[in-house]
Amino acid sequence: MSTETVDAAIVRPPLAQLGSSRAAILALRLGSIIVPLLLWELGARLGWINTFLFPPPSKILATLWSQSGPNGNPPWAIPIHVGRSLIRLLAGVALAVVIGTIAGVVIGLNRWARAILRPIISALMPVPTLAWTPVLLLVMGIDDRTTIFVVFLAAVFEMIYTIVAGIEMMNVKLFWVAESMGATRLQIFVRVIIPAIFPYLITGMRLGTGYAWRALIAAEMLAASSFGLGFMIYDASEYMNMDVIYGGVMLIAVLGFLLENVLIGRLESATTEKWGVQNER
Amino acid sequence: MSQVVAVTDPAANRAQPDPEKRSPRFGTAFVAFMLPIIGLLVLWEIAVRSGLADATILPAPSMIAERAWTLLDPTHPGHGPLLGHIAVSLWRALASFVLACLVAIPIGFLLGLSPTAYGAFSPLLSLLLPLPAVAWTPIFLVAFGQGDLTIIAVCFLGAFFPVLYSTIQGVRGIGRHSLWVVYAMGATPLDVFHRVLLPGALPALISGLKLGMAHSWRTLVAAEMLAALTHGLGFMIFAARSYMDVSTMFVGIVCLAVIGMLIEHAVFGPLEAITIRRWHATGKVGGQR
Repeated sequence: MSTETVDAAIVRPPLAQLGSSRAAILALRLGSIIVPLLLWELGARLGWINTFLFPPPSKILATLWSQSGPNGNPPWAIPIHVGRSLIRLLAGVALAVVIGTIAGVVIGLNRWARAILRPIISALMPVPTLAWTPVLLLVMGIDDRTTIFVVFLAAVFEMIYTIVAGIEMMNVKLFWVAESMGATRLQIFVRVIIPAIFPYLITGMRLGTGYAWRALIAAEMLAASSFGLGFMIYDASEYMNMDVIYGGVMLIAVLGFLLENVLIGRLESATTEKWGVQNER
Repeated sequence: MSQVVAVTDPAANRAQPDPEKRSPRFGTAFVAFMLPIIGLLVLWEIAVRSGLADATILPAPSMIAERAWTLLDPTHPGHGPLLGHIAVSLWRALASFVLACLVAIPIGFLLGLSPTAYGAFSPLLSLLLPLPAVAWTPIFLVAFGQGDLTIIAVCFLGAFFPVLYSTIQGVRGIGRHSLWVVYAMGATPLDVFHRVLLPGALPALISGLKLGMAHSWRTLVAAEMLAALTHGLGFMIFAARSYMDVSTMFVGIVCLAVIGMLIEHAVFGPLEAITIRRWHATGKVGGQR
């Protein structure tokens, strides 16, 4: 579990504990992103750095802008690339959440399932997710199915592990109470287990989405035939189109940041606080 | 503080179960662990032999083992290429990991010690941290072309950020008071580094190193698939695709998993146990309050 826990700590940078005013902090934070970009721009304009390898940020943004519009190649290229990547991510993560939750609950509650599945899962976990890509390519072809399956594999083990951890943290008495009041298995699952593991589910989703996003970009480079951000930057490297590559990398960074910190963070605070359960972390 | 606890806790847990390992129950636990895996392999073998699974897509374990044997055989025309692939992959992963540590640990100590620097750089870091290292590959491909340099640069970035972040968290977790106390007692900066900062940050640092090596190893596969010219496990797997040689792919996958596991448990497990046992008390006094 140790690597996952560290990742959890990594994706959530603590607020800088500066004593000074908020405005100064904000200026400092914005500056840390804007100043390097300005230096880069200046260096490129004044010819201090190689503009082929480091095109100025203004040019990169201009390329991103023109590629996002009807004059792109193909038209509306950037929205399509982003959309395709997000759809693949969503499909893979959704699959991983559903299957991971079911598998996690079964492993957590059933002694036999645990004895049989745990070793198999811990044997599969250390395989780098992307190593499956060539095999999947042979089975499924250059296709959305391959990328979605890689995303699924990247997220599912994390889901299973966190859900099992959540079930192990549950109090046995909860089951006794529910059972003695005559709850059916389905009722126990919906009313007792799901609320109890919910914080873990969200944590698993956050970690899983992080892994999935990394895997998706690489999988798109290896296995996407037409669209997706990973495909976009890899394709651009074959034409040595540096603006598009840098633009894509920037988009990937911003989207990854938004996915991990904003979207899942919101989901986390909205659900765990509303449900009145505290996450361990 | 909670971040620091999250970083150190699992490591502390890892150090404990050691005495159990030596008990006779370890043998039964091992059998219980291997039994389902062996069962799955047997089922898989039967499924392929009976024609339930297509052997060209899912070769039986025996076929994979046979292929591994051929790939290891030095009298074979390829001179047993598997060991060469493994050696090249390991070399690349280690080189990029060591480079990443050499750069990330000093920067991590600086950023951890100076709140202003940390405040200034943390937005940039939190933007770069979720960025997959593989996304840099196209840029390096254009700059360096295919080959070792690109692969090592990508893996370097894969290892760099986890190591950097854990170092920062480890250093920031050390209480300001313990620094004041040691300074008040007349310690030189070198003493402070050696007696307070290093032991205090060590648990987080070791976790970071472990994570960094794991990331480097995982990134390596993708980077080798995209940018390797002749050697490496990732290259072997991806090249086997052109010949529809699924057995070789599975040999590669098994090697990747086994080596990854060995690095994590055989190298970093003991390292973690030793350092944390030796410095645990110091870490507690220096680290917690």
